[in-house]
Amino acid sequence: MAIRMLIRFTPAKPKAGEEYKFQVVAQHPMEPGTRKDAEGKLIPANYINLLEVYFEGQKVAEIRPGPSTSANPLFALKFKAEKPGSFTVKAKDINGDTGEAQAKLELA
Amino acid sequence: MNRRAFLKTTGMALGALAAVRMPALAQGLEGEDLANLEKGLQAALGKGFKDLTPSDAVKLTMPAIAESGANVPAEVEVALPQGQVKAIHLFADKNPTPHLVAVQLMGGLPYYASRVRLAETTAVRAVVETADGKLLLASASTRVTVGGCG
Repeated sequence: MAIRMLIRFTPAKPKAGEEYKFQVVAQHPMEPGTRKDAEGKLIPANYINLLEVYFEGQKVAEIRPGPSTSANPLFALKFKAEKPGSFTVKAKDINGDTGEAQAKLELA
Repeated sequence: MNRRAFLKTTGMALGALAAVRMPALAQGLEGEDLANLEKGLQAALGKGFKDLTPSDAVKLTMPAIAESGANVPAEVEVALPQGQVKAIHLFADKNPTPHLVAVQLMGGLPYYASRVRLAETTAVRAVVETADGKLLLASASTRVTVGGCG
């Protein structure tokens, strides 16, 4: 199943030269592998372990979360607004599921 | 003295006592576990705790008390120029897997925020790799009422 992701910019339309926050929320249970179900059996680990952020095809950040990341995780980075363009985020979990999301950055 | 006043004064006295006693501990952080942290540092960076330099340039923001350990906001800000920060790591001393996240920055400002799981009351470390190979450290402590790893 593909991983669903949402991208948001704060402020939504930054001015040129302004710093803005780039936030990604992924829909994922992020099982750390240490939790037990109702019968006391360990729930197998299943978490996103790689998140790549591209701006206009160029890689700007690579996030490697460990098992101790919350369910439906939020990842936030900061950038300086220089030119408008499109962001692409690629995610992969340890079971091989992948997800991709895109968002366009517009300048005010 | 009524009950409320009594609780207030004793509470303050205990608080003052804790504040005085804090520096006597290794680093004065609650939930410190250097042995477990060392393991995580060696696995992630190949360096030990003594190779880290505490730095004021790194700002780690964690809540003092987290209601649920399953979802604790963590924020790292580094007061260094953009190109100087290569990577940001987060560690939690008491977690079964101490290494929380590694972030490689190629074009962004030195900032990272996320939400993490904490198993119990623990010290959290932000380790920043700079371009000249230094490892900068900032620590914070979060008290956890309900653990998030089990």
